[in-house]
Amino acid sequence: MTSGLMTRRSLWIALLLVWSLAPMLWQLLSSFTTADALVNDQLSFWSRWTLNNYRDLLSTDPPFWRYLLNSSLVASLTTLLTLMLAIPAAYGLAKLPQRLKGILRTAVVGAALFPYVLLFLALLELARTFSLGNNLIAIAIPYSALSMPLALLLLTAAFEALPNDLEDAAKLEGLSLWQRLRWVLLPLIAPASASTAILVFLFAWNEYPVALTWLSRSDLLTLPVAMARIAGSSTYSVPYGTYAAATVLGAIPLLVLVLVFQRQIVSGLTNGAIKG
Amino acid sequence: MTLQLRAINKRFGERQVLHQLDLDVANGECVALLGASGCGKSTALRLIAGLDHPDQGSIRINGAEMVDVPAERRRVGMVFQSYALFPHLNVWDNLELGLRMRGGSAATRDERIRGVLEVLQLSGQARQRPSQLSGGQRQRVALARALLRDPLVYLLDEPMSNLDAQLREDLRPQLRRLMIGGEQPVVYVTHDQQEAMALADRIAVMREGRIEQIGTPRELYLQPASTYVAQFIGRPQMNLLPARDGVITGIRPDDLRLDPAGSPCTILSREWFGANQMLLVRCDRGELRLVCPGETAIGAEPRISWPSTCEHRFDAVSGRRLPSD
Repeated sequence: MTSGLMTRRSLWIALLLVWSLAPMLWQLLSSFTTADALVNDQLSFWSRWTLNNYRDLLSTDPPFWRYLLNSSLVASLTTLLTLMLAIPAAYGLAKLPQRLKGILRTAVVGAALFPYVLLFLALLELARTFSLGNNLIAIAIPYSALSMPLALLLLTAAFEALPNDLEDAAKLEGLSLWQRLRWVLLPLIAPASASTAILVFLFAWNEYPVALTWLSRSDLLTLPVAMARIAGSSTYSVPYGTYAAATVLGAIPLLVLVLVFQRQIVSGLTNGAIKG
Repeated sequence: MTLQLRAINKRFGERQVLHQLDLDVANGECVALLGASGCGKSTALRLIAGLDHPDQGSIRINGAEMVDVPAERRRVGMVFQSYALFPHLNVWDNLELGLRMRGGSAATRDERIRGVLEVLQLSGQARQRPSQLSGGQRQRVALARALLRDPLVYLLDEPMSNLDAQLREDLRPQLRRLMIGGEQPVVYVTHDQQEAMALADRIAVMREGRIEQIGTPRELYLQPASTYVAQFIGRPQMNLLPARDGVITGIRPDDLRLDPAGSPCTILSREWFGANQMLLVRCDRGELRLVCPGETAIGAEPRISWPSTCEHRFDAVSGRRLPSD
């Protein structure tokens, strides 16, 4: 009976995996398929495959890896800036008296739920006024601001989940505020920080409207904008193969990131579930 | 070294947790703060440690005013009820963190930690994380950390309440050897009267933010100042007879005895512990607990009595002890 349950469960898991992985696999296959083969199922198996999509992608000017680099830079900077600001802020928030904390948290949740697309015109004005356009470092500022509510919520929850006794004990051991943060609190909220970092990185990696308006020089584009340009590069045909290749390349850094931080992410996501 | 609390007031929101608390602990003296949960004993300890700030009053250690000294610089060694060991560090690093942050050479640090681990029989566990240790081992690591603090005062917050009875008895002598009776004053918070009587030189019984009575265990046992103290000190609890003419009479269960010339009673229940036994009896004055030697045979129609010299008399309204006449 148990084994029957197990088989049923594995069946469901397999279905879920197919559901979420099949599109990616499709994309991967398409990226290695010739443009002809994508619309013609009569071609023989051996004449379907090609590396041309990738070659095209990397031989454009600027080459595609330039966008990968841009996006990596922007996303890393955003993550760094967000964590540097959000960790001390979340610590402060977690220490506030209950009532004030409730009010602030409601405000932060409100900010997190706000559809940020509505802000992009205002942000564009800001970029104009302070001449922040076409600057990969400057674009990390609005990205951090937009990620801040979510980061604050996650990190505040992590700080609150820590037993008060631990910080009290560190205090009595003679550790100053920064020493306590560095040696006791940060290591303990590392899983939450890691999952927050991933989410922020993902947001910056995928962000489109702000990047579209703030960046116009072709060598400074981030991945989503660059990919949209590929898709819209010809009025008469959609370059499916190149597009698929771009998607695959664009997903690789994220895959690496998730693989490296796999453990932290999982334990961070289940952090609130079991209070230890 | 001495610890001195004067007129400490502390309120959390609407609730006055401590009222005009005064407490003196001398060099090497261990004072137990004993009371039910919510009586303010842990708050008092946190105020001494500097983890909370009193609304009014003064806290002096060796004569130096401490109220405005932050917890980081107060030099108190505290053992928490939860032990509060840093879960991400192994035993050695747990002990080393504070020493390293406070400065000093690596060689002396190593030597001191090794010494303390030796004394507490933890040498084999130095590289283990707290989660891999048993309750008793965690407790000893917490003691070790407090010892390494070189404190001016030791504060123990129910340090043994998470351990089973057997382990508590094993740890008591260690605690006494290492912390109690040294140079420092020790404040020991507990709700276990037996622990307080076993370890403390003096016991302060607290109730609703005030010290109801402070004295040696003997004083508290023989001359309880109120019905509250009387019921808190001594097990089984003191019998309190229903008030007569505004006076509550209390008799310790050990002072009651089976006496053929006494008043008749019926036995409601009997608990046998080997060396002694406890009987719950009903007589004309109500239900009474009685402790007698284990081998005492109980007759079919038991009668009990007590010497009037053993009576404790309390005011029925205030619960305060009445002067013996």
